[in-house]
Amino acid sequence: MGKVPSVLEKIRILGENSKYDICASTASSRTNKYPKLFGDSKKWIGATASAGICHSYSPDGRCMSLFKTLYTNKCIYNCKYCFSQSCRHKMSFTPEEYARTFMKLYSMNVVEGVFISSAVCGSADDTTEEMLEAIRLLRFKYNFRGYVHFKCLPGVSQYLLKEAISLSDRISINSEASTKEHLAEIADQKDFKNDIIMRQRWLKQIRVKHNDETLKFMKDLKQDNQLKYQEAMIKERREDGYKKFRWDGAPILNSGQTTQFVVGAAESESDYDLLKRIDWGYKEIDLRRAYFSSFIPIEGTPLASKQAAPLTREHRLYQSDWLLRIYHYKLKDLKEILTEDNNLPIGDPKIHLARQYFKDHGPVDPNLAGFQELLKVPGIGPISAKRIINLRSRKFKFKRRQDLKAVGVVLKRADPYLLLNGTNQTTIQNFIDPNNSKFLQREIV
Amino acid sequence: MKKEINEKDPLQVVGCAKGHSHEELIHNLPRHYNYTPNLIQKIKEIPEVILRNSGTLIAKKVNRMMREVTTEAYRSKQFTRTEMNNRGVLFGVVLLKHRVMDLVLKYFHERWPECIICLYNEHSGKTGIINERGVIQEIDSTLKNVVEGVSKNHSVIPYFDDIQFSGREIFETLYKSQFISERENQNYFKRMIPDKCFELPGMRGGVEKRFRNKKINDYL
Repeated sequence: MGKVPSVLEKIRILGENSKYDICASTASSRTNKYPKLFGDSKKWIGATASAGICHSYSPDGRCMSLFKTLYTNKCIYNCKYCFSQSCRHKMSFTPEEYARTFMKLYSMNVVEGVFISSAVCGSADDTTEEMLEAIRLLRFKYNFRGYVHFKCLPGVSQYLLKEAISLSDRISINSEASTKEHLAEIADQKDFKNDIIMRQRWLKQIRVKHNDETLKFMKDLKQDNQLKYQEAMIKERREDGYKKFRWDGAPILNSGQTTQFVVGAAESESDYDLLKRIDWGYKEIDLRRAYFSSFIPIEGTPLASKQAAPLTREHRLYQSDWLLRIYHYKLKDLKEILTEDNNLPIGDPKIHLARQYFKDHGPVDPNLAGFQELLKVPGIGPISAKRIINLRSRKFKFKRRQDLKAVGVVLKRADPYLLLNGTNQTTIQNFIDPNNSKFLQREIV
Repeated sequence: MKKEINEKDPLQVVGCAKGHSHEELIHNLPRHYNYTPNLIQKIKEIPEVILRNSGTLIAKKVNRMMREVTTEAYRSKQFTRTEMNNRGVLFGVVLLKHRVMDLVLKYFHERWPECIICLYNEHSGKTGIINERGVIQEIDSTLKNVVEGVSKNHSVIPYFDDIQFSGREIFETLYKSQFISERENQNYFKRMIPDKCFELPGMRGGVEKRFRNKKINDYL
């Protein structure tokens, strides 16, 4: 019989196994937005109100705010890119060990929440059961009400998903690849449609149904001034397994569901494939956001000899994701700037889009342009665009560049695309090819 | 020549851009160590739009003071490393030049409402305490004495007794395990943890004082 590994050994191995899961966000609106029916109780420990604080940074500059380790690295799958494949030391936490270790770290003020992920040991349901037990202990033995991110395993049953949702702030299922074919290239044992897509759809259905019912019910109760009854009833629900309400009466899964892709592991996967998948996610499954992890070859895995994906590719995908999610660009807009092999070009995608758009339309006057048109200007984000519109509605005219700077416009990026007092910044292009330059022509007119 | 004040300044109209409102300044500036009551009088006489724009010397000074106060409070919440004994006393050391002890204490109180929190301020040599009811007091004594004194009145609580083990090594192991050498980015790392933060008491000799998983001393 082998030696039983210590907790430290487990953290070292399982922490290292999980390091490529790059999520570090602790964003949750739970305690601020919704009534804390049990929130005033003295026994609850932790908070999500100040979530977002980072307690340390790893040497690569990434924020470390979560207790992020695998629950176990014993896996039935043999994904070609995965770290667990090459790891010879197989081990698992026990739920008690996991919860106690986290609470110790939380008392030291070095972590802000939990990120629990795992390999699939035996079956997805068995492993999920154990992970849930660890979270149950955290919530109800250690009374932790802070941030919990639960990573669902592919192929997990719906009843376990329901429970995971009721205990966590955020849930994610790793897509790893954008399509069935690409996933088969790197993880042939996983069924893309059944193990991943169907589970993502379930998450949305469970959340939407639950939140609708809860909100309707709470609204009715508030109207009837039955807050005391409500409190008692939620306590009762709490005792019979938290099936209906969370302890603070808030709609479940405040931080929504996310997913992660391994960029560059599948040979033929292009940036467009990935963008298409996340665009689908935003429309179909209420995806909150997507994470991209550049493929890094790991010794001892089948893809050890494959070249690493450049980090700039990951960065460009994040930029494009931001355009889809925050700026509400259409996928077809992004498609226009793609290179021949359907990848994003080098440089900021917003600048590429702006060059293309303003080549045809000419620079915009901030006193006349609409919200969507202002958003197309590099250096103007949703907040500064709103401020510009807000000011215009109060009869304010932008005459000076300083006016724009004062509302938060980044002028060095925005200048080439703006028209102030009928003039536009002259660029070197105007001198090289004055006949073809619409910018200069406008200025002359 | 006197400069004309632009009454239609965007910041004034929007009211949500840079800078702070009069109320925020009046409420928070007294926290600054260099604060004088005259400053508030001066601020009251100056229109908010000028203070927000940082165009004048006084506005620059006021905004700098506010920044120093808020940054210190934020950094202390981030990088204060605490310990807990089995009687439910959470304690740590901070280095606060400004009067933000109450903000830091409240932050910990929200997380550990059942605990008594003691933070020793190395700058003033005093220990700030917040009890279970949220009452704050400052005692002119060392952290050890205060923690001993407070603990005497409390019995051992099983909950806190359960998590009495050394966590330093655990965190150090977790911290090391998360490093991806391919993503190494020295500039970004330095930007995220400014040198000044290494001087904070909680960070002294701490595991963050390293690059490529080595302590700074290894390079010196």
